[in-house]
Amino acid sequence: MIRTVIFLLSLFSLSAQAVTLPELQQRFSQQPVLRADFSQQRTISGMSLPLNSSGNLLIARKKGLWWQQEKPFPLTLLLTENRMVQTMAGQPPQVVTADSNPQMFQFSALLTALFQADQQALEHNFALNFSDKGQGAWQLILTPKTAPLNRLFRTITLNGQEYLNLIDIKDMQGDETHIRFFNQRTEPAALTDAELAHFDR
Amino acid sequence: MPSWPILTAERHRQLAFGWLFICLMLVAALFWLLPRSQINSSVLALLPKQQLQGVPDDLSRGFSQRLDRQLMWLVSPPAGQGSEAALEWLTMLRQLPALRQVEGPMDTQHQQQWGEFFFQHRNALLDDATRHRLQNSAQAQSQWILGQMYSAFAGVSGKELASDPLLLVRGSQLAQQQSSGGMILDNGWLTARDKQGRSWYLIHAELNASSYDITSSKQIVASLNGLEQSFRQRFPGAEVLQRGTLFYSNYASQQAEHDISTLGLTSVAGVFLLILLVFRSVLPLLLSLLSIAIGALTGTVFTLAIFGEIHVMTLVLSTSIIGISADYTLYFLTERRVHGGQSSPLESLKKLFPALSMALLTTVAAYLMLLIAPFPGLQQLAVFAAFGLSAACFTVMCWYPLLAKNLPVGPAPGLALFRSWLNAWQHGRVLRMGLPLIVVGLILAGFSQLKINDDIGDLQALPKDLQQQERQIAALTGQTNDQKWLVVYGKNAEQTLQRLEALRPKLQQAKARGVLDGYRLINLPSQKQQQEDLNLLRQRAPEVLSQLAQAGVTLKPADLSPQWVTPPAWLESVVSQGWRLLWLSLPDGRTATLIPVSGVHDSAAMSELAAKAEGVGWIDRKTEFSQLFSQYRVMLSLLLTLAVTLIAGVYLWRFRLPHGLVCLVPTLLSLGMGIAALAFSGHSLNLFSLLALILVLGIGINYTLFFTNPRGTPTTSMLAIFMAVVTTQLTFGMLVFSSTQAISSFGIVLSAGIFTAFLLSPLTLPASKSGSAS
Repeated sequence: MIRTVIFLLSLFSLSAQAVTLPELQQRFSQQPVLRADFSQQRTISGMSLPLNSSGNLLIARKKGLWWQQEKPFPLTLLLTENRMVQTMAGQPPQVVTADSNPQMFQFSALLTALFQADQQALEHNFALNFSDKGQGAWQLILTPKTAPLNRLFRTITLNGQEYLNLIDIKDMQGDETHIRFFNQRTEPAALTDAELAHFDR
Repeated sequence: MPSWPILTAERHRQLAFGWLFICLMLVAALFWLLPRSQINSSVLALLPKQQLQGVPDDLSRGFSQRLDRQLMWLVSPPAGQGSEAALEWLTMLRQLPALRQVEGPMDTQHQQQWGEFFFQHRNALLDDATRHRLQNSAQAQSQWILGQMYSAFAGVSGKELASDPLLLVRGSQLAQQQSSGGMILDNGWLTARDKQGRSWYLIHAELNASSYDITSSKQIVASLNGLEQSFRQRFPGAEVLQRGTLFYSNYASQQAEHDISTLGLTSVAGVFLLILLVFRSVLPLLLSLLSIAIGALTGTVFTLAIFGEIHVMTLVLSTSIIGISADYTLYFLTERRVHGGQSSPLESLKKLFPALSMALLTTVAAYLMLLIAPFPGLQQLAVFAAFGLSAACFTVMCWYPLLAKNLPVGPAPGLALFRSWLNAWQHGRVLRMGLPLIVVGLILAGFSQLKINDDIGDLQALPKDLQQQERQIAALTGQTNDQKWLVVYGKNAEQTLQRLEALRPKLQQAKARGVLDGYRLINLPSQKQQQEDLNLLRQRAPEVLSQLAQAGVTLKPADLSPQWVTPPAWLESVVSQGWRLLWLSLPDGRTATLIPVSGVHDSAAMSELAAKAEGVGWIDRKTEFSQLFSQYRVMLSLLLTLAVTLIAGVYLWRFRLPHGLVCLVPTLLSLGMGIAALAFSGHSLNLFSLLALILVLGIGINYTLFFTNPRGTPTTSMLAIFMAVVTTQLTFGMLVFSSTQAISSFGIVLSAGIFTAFLLSPLTLPASKSGSAS
């Protein structure tokens, strides 16, 4: 009971103060589990139609990220502390471990860093530009400063308020990706057995 | 020969001049040979040159020479800093003239060329995963392409899709990353990160000179150490790790240099001191020096003439010959000093000739037995000793009767002591029975704790800091330095590559079975493979593109022209950087490629795998050498047993029972004691101990020979033997203090064995004849 009061108080004080990145990181790291739906639109230059996809994701602290694209075809991406598994129908799972392919792994680990606003991990690869948009809304613009990221992305922009709501990725080649997150929920705070099985597999 | 009626003073004078002439010729030969020879300090050069499972000699030699030139560094900047420190170290290295191809980060231009090469040859450089997908079905490839396109972070661009709709370049680059072995590309640098989160930047270079070249490697290591010092001052907290044969061979040669200078000098000083004490005259000193010098000259000339080089280890071990070659001088001079009043120099020579020549013969025979072992260092030692000792002995025989004319005559010191020592042996049962029994007791105690160890790794005691660096580098890069490779070879490049491709699935299976943890194959497909891949692409591409179109992605048809990659083009391109080392083509077209493997758990299975595949050799130097060591250890044990049996036969035939058997006691016990001393000192028995035993047998038997020589006077013999033992201990005993473990254990066996042989040698004097010892 007391804990809930303190939590509410802290939420209240949060919105009263200006948002900072360390604080955001602190806040995100306090969410043991985050579930959300996403819809993604990728615009590739030279192609008439944008590529739309959607699905859901699950971030569990100390476990990793479970990204499940449902449409237009199922594709799952599991990202844990030391391995990344990409699964597509009809194909053997593609496993990348931190040991076998640190390059690729480092790249994928960025994804987790984005969701957790992990300042240290991001600062290693990007110049950060954080701004408070008022009423608890914030924006973080990432400009890659190391190769090979700087040859792939122009900027990665994160927008959010209580949660991360939008990722805009501008590629060097003029392509763009927008990922919108919605229906974010932190409850139930524990993983179901089925969810646990994804990570421990 | 024994009575020598023909050896007149005139004849002997001619002989002396003849020997002088030969010696001058030898000096001339030395001056001719020296600029044409080299000193070898490689530890591996000491090891047998084995035929590598059919791998052509030129190819395996080419590879080992090349690998010995490689140097690598891992530089970690001070905490919180980026790559500036590594860049500075790179700049410093580039200024060293001894290094070439100092490579650090791949610059943007290189990275572009890299991408371009893959793009221009994408139809020829298919990666395994793409090939599997295409072989599987067009569906597999089109699904994979869609997956990449939908992925927000894969960065598939419209440009990429337009120029490479099948995403072949992407596939092969992903595969390349997969085999990076724990290294990350960071701003063009290959980097590794340790558990504490420190980054390590990789720099690679090649030596201009062969790393076996002692003087230049010493200079290079010195200047590298200097650079490192100033580097550490500029970047406090930065760390540098280094790897390369250079550092090992330099360490070994410095050890050897240290051994030669200190042990050699101590030996010489000790021998000279002994001579001065016994003779109280400078002449014997000069004469000993002369015979040692001529011995060394002859030994060097013949070693260089036969082997074209001399190994540092040979030089170290050769210092031990100083003692033996001084023995001949001392034996002769002792005789002259004691009996110079009664007999002419020539008569003395005639009297000593049988013992001298017998001693020379047995010692030379023992050394020549070392030739059996296939170790170049020991073979050189055998040649050096055989010729050196013979020359020293000839010098004594040819010159000293003339040169020693003015030697002051007088009783040798300590004769009384020797007489009572010998009397005690001949009359006292306590000594005759007691001492051998004590020795037997010691031997039994020693044998009870004797260990046998044929592991070659234990012989190379590497300095702690080099070992530490080695472990760190292995942990960071995932590349161990345990000298294990597969070699694939063929008549030409194409055959080699086809054999490599045939081996690939077998390696995969072996890895799955846990035989090994990893391997690295060059990324150059054979012409045959390229043709097959192109056919596969042409067969599947239309279907893949139509499936993509169904999914809403319409792409231009792929360019499916042949884009052959030839070995020369590959070698010239930037993509072979870091792989060229593993590819060797001889002028006659024969070609081989090296497959470095890591974490081999079953060497026998690897050997079997190589034997079953055509044109594949498994190289595991350490395991092979350890097997070889044990084989030769057993063989030498048998040889030693044979030699002892032979000697026993001779003794029994000459002295009959029971004295023949008694004469055998010092020999047997000296061998036993050598081994026991080894066990007491905590060393384990290996091939080198047995080689030392052969010398114990060959040298120790001299003492028995001197006593059993019917013409010799026991006390004079005793003095000569005593001096011989002291000189031998001064030289072989010194080897005990060598910092090289193999040499040190060799020294322990020798000095303990020879001392025992000396101690027990009076046992061979007939016990019954009393008082005749003067």
